Amino acid sequence: MDYTFQWGVAFRYLPDLLGGAWVTFHLTFIGFWTGLIIAVFLAVGQVYGGRGLQRAISAYVVFFTNTPSLVTAFFIFYGLPEVGIIWSPYVCVLVNLILNAAAFLTDVIRGGVASVRQAEMEAAETLGFSLLQKVHYVIVPHVAKVLYAPISNLYIVFILGSALAAIFGVEELTGTAFNIASDTFRTIEIYSLAAGIYVAMTIIASAILALVGHWAFRVKAKIF
Amino acid sequence: MFEHALSQADLFFTWQNGLLWLRAMGTTLAMAALGCGIGFVVACVLVYLRTWPSLLLLPLRLLLVAYVEIFRRIPFLVLIFLVLFGTRAIGMRLPLFWVACITVTVMATAFIAEIVRAGYESVHRTQWESATVMNFGRLRTVLLVVLPQAWTVIIPPAFSYFVMFIKETSLASQVGVYELMQTGKYFNNVGISPFLAFGTCLLIYFALSYPLTRLGWRIERKLKQRFRRDGDADLTARNLVTGI
Repeated sequence: MDYTFQWGVAFRYLPDLLGGAWVTFHLTFIGFWTGLIIAVFLAVGQVYGGRGLQRAISAYVVFFTNTPSLVTAFFIFYGLPEVGIIWSPYVCVLVNLILNAAAFLTDVIRGGVASVRQAEMEAAETLGFSLLQKVHYVIVPHVAKVLYAPISNLYIVFILGSALAAIFGVEELTGTAFNIASDTFRTIEIYSLAAGIYVAMTIIASAILALVGHWAFRVKAKIF
Repeated sequence: MFEHALSQADLFFTWQNGLLWLRAMGTTLAMAALGCGIGFVVACVLVYLRTWPSLLLLPLRLLLVAYVEIFRRIPFLVLIFLVLFGTRAIGMRLPLFWVACITVTVMATAFIAEIVRAGYESVHRTQWESATVMNFGRLRTVLLVVLPQAWTVIIPPAFSYFVMFIKETSLASQVGVYELMQTGKYFNNVGISPFLAFGTCLLIYFALSYPLTRLGWRIERKLKQRFRRDGDADLTARNLVTGI
């Protein structure tokens, strides 16, 4: 083995990496929760919409869940300038993230809405609940409880998936690591440090989501 | 708007290019299949060791828990760079294809180990106890009693991970493995319109992934019919697939 580890060099760049982690955080935060809002509308459209709308939404969902987000990102990044739309790399990656997140979340949310049992709705009917009360006391608690775990899992998956932004020149965590590694040649140290930050970030995100879920929806979520 | 793409169509759709795409498809499939196949076997062994009821193996158990927790939380792109430079540093000059395979294996092992553990836990404790009463050894209990019942819980999500890794390996193009994504990039670089190059790439990925996803659902339905059991098995499988 003729490689000498120089962790000091890597740790000197820790502030830059943490700056990159901040970009990763807001990229995924904006992208994922925007995707979630869109997904709620799409899921409702898929359950209650007309036949054409249902078809269109499931085509969208099936397409994006079955193609790698890297390829759709390339398609957006290189394809759009061809038709005269030029976006910054950050916006391209963000739009790609939103499109992918919305597709995956639509799939998850539709399953949750469908899992509210007929008997529960009938029980609410018997108790004389209004529609608003039904939504508030029956549908939302039920759906939140069923969907909270898969949605927070997906959030972690999308944090990890956002690493592909580095390929398009966005200076998030992986992109920063890539630049520093090409400057210093301390590749293993820098990438290990970046990997460690990813592990820490996702564990913190899981913990916060578990706490919020426990407090808001009484979901028993586990971090590990 | 699309004139540029259309004018290149007869330049792009030749049988030589078709062969190039086919080879790339083979590489993509081989990376995912090899990685997940080896990962599956390793995961089964790891979980077998992890659930060993002995205090002596506690350090090993902690190590395995740490492995699973850490490698499910590192992006594929970062891990493949680590594997690439790590193997170079210890003097192994592996071909890039094998670097990608190792990366998939390392990640798939962590993901699948979690599924296999869920499979173990889905088998009721009385089954283990009755096997002990019948004087079965640990290996025989796992092979003859536990795993046959756990397949329903293990196979469908493991298969979904295989499909997920087909898509994930597109990131291996970043270190230079000549798979589908890299082929798309090649065509884009030689001047083919990105709509044609990446569009074809998207369609091929879709053609690989969609039938396999459908096959996964079929396997899940079939297995469920054979081993009916209570609980929201479909939801647990889905939850596992979405990840961590």
